[in-house]
Amino acid sequence: MNTLVETMDKTTGAISSADLAQDRPSAATVGDVTVADPRMTCRNVDVWYGAKQAIKGVSLDIGKNEVLSMIGPSGCGKSTFLRCLNRMNDTIDGCRVTGSIKLDEQDIYDKGLDPVPLRAQVGMVFQKPNPFPKSIYENVAYGPRIHGLTNNKAELDELVETSLQKAGLWNEVKDRLDQPGTGLSGGQQQRLCIARTIAVSPEVILMDEPCSALDPIATAIIEELIDELRANYSIAIVTHSMQQAARVSQRTAYFHLGDLIEVGETNQIFTNPQHRLTEDYITGRFG
Amino acid sequence: MSDTAIDKPAGDLTTGHTVRRYDQELAKLRAIILQMGERVVDQTQAAVAALIEDDESQAYRVLDREPLIDYLSLDADEEVFRVIARRQPTAVDLRIVLALSKIAGEVERAGDKAARIARQALELRQQESGGELLVEPLRAAFQRLDDKACCMFERSVHAVTSFDVTQALTIFENESKLHEAARALRDLLSESDTDGLVPRQTIALFHCAQALKHIGNHASSIAEQVIYVALGQDVRYRNREILIETLRHHGY
Repeated sequence: MNTLVETMDKTTGAISSADLAQDRPSAATVGDVTVADPRMTCRNVDVWYGAKQAIKGVSLDIGKNEVLSMIGPSGCGKSTFLRCLNRMNDTIDGCRVTGSIKLDEQDIYDKGLDPVPLRAQVGMVFQKPNPFPKSIYENVAYGPRIHGLTNNKAELDELVETSLQKAGLWNEVKDRLDQPGTGLSGGQQQRLCIARTIAVSPEVILMDEPCSALDPIATAIIEELIDELRANYSIAIVTHSMQQAARVSQRTAYFHLGDLIEVGETNQIFTNPQHRLTEDYITGRFG
Repeated sequence: MSDTAIDKPAGDLTTGHTVRRYDQELAKLRAIILQMGERVVDQTQAAVAALIEDDESQAYRVLDREPLIDYLSLDADEEVFRVIARRQPTAVDLRIVLALSKIAGEVERAGDKAARIARQALELRQQESGGELLVEPLRAAFQRLDDKACCMFERSVHAVTSFDVTQALTIFENESKLHEAARALRDLLSESDTDGLVPRQTIALFHCAQALKHIGNHASSIAEQVIYVALGQDVRYRNREILIETLRHHGY
């Protein structure tokens, strides 16, 4: 089959030659990396682990109130890129990040910027639920307390309750807040971690395969929660589940060997991707 | 990133999955539809032969074989359900499954049209008062319409084998010839002195002509689905002339 990636005029059938794939430079990301209302803007981001380049000149926006999913085969750089967004890579020896990553116009790699408050603004939920070995209450209260977000016990209680409600966990734990967080089920622990992230009033929530250790029911609850959280936060999620990316996100970015190959509306990426590598990956032809 | 990486997959769109069983399932679905298509071509030719050549046995053969196409369409539906349930197809795979499901419907309905012609041929034979039912130029007009419809349908089935856009466009280009042949036949049947045909016979022949034209239209619908699979664009209800011109301009 020859290539013809085009947008035809819906009524006339005319195809704009400007939209033809073969007219695009091959090294560029296919699709629009920008959004009208960005929360984070990343431009020409390179990440090096020693001499090995893990991310190659990636530019990508994360919009307000959107879920952006990042997909790609293992080692493609999606998790590395995600960790750049709240400077988690700072803790890795030999890791070097260049380019520009801004949160609301503030360069997060500015030398004068303290990464600790940044990580409250850009929270993270990991693959495996990792509650502190403390009570459910303390798991949520810990962040606001160290960041000084509340003035008294009553305010803290209210914040804990609100955060657990937003994470869809309040009704399940309200009578046992003093019990260990580690005693909850896997899905509940993951929602507790989300409540912990929400408690410090982030602007962006990063999720690195948040459901990979959960059963389908717990996964569905988290996905429903992600959809609800979108109303207040920007969310970037790395997932190996195509179906999950298709279900929860509005935009999808496909990474391959450190390149951002294609980004676009999730509906379009999963029905008619423009790049062959994207199509091969999501249809299970890759490799 | 290589320059060729921007291209969509070349060759057979149903192959190349890491899970090879997936390839086999898609190939099986397509094989069912191709088998249906080939049967419909045979059925149409036999039905028209029954009408033009007054061959009763051909009409009975068509009617005997018609349920086989229906059974194959049930098999196709079952395969579609299985593939969706097992594989959750996306992108080109999703388009292939959806398109093949619609194509199965088009082919099955084209088979019904062939059976309708065979039924009319039998009824006309029973009404005959001796001598040939169809004489020139009516016979030649039927033959012309049959040629156009069968040729379009055969091409459409062939286009499905490799989701070939060029073949699909050829089908669109033949639509005007099909309509022209149908119009010429209709005009002949409308003439008041149609070689001694009684009104009932004329109406039956109108129905046969209409069925043949519909078989050609089913071919066009199949061609639309072929383009949908290959290019990811739904071209139904689009201006045909502009569509043909645009795609030809881009080398198809």
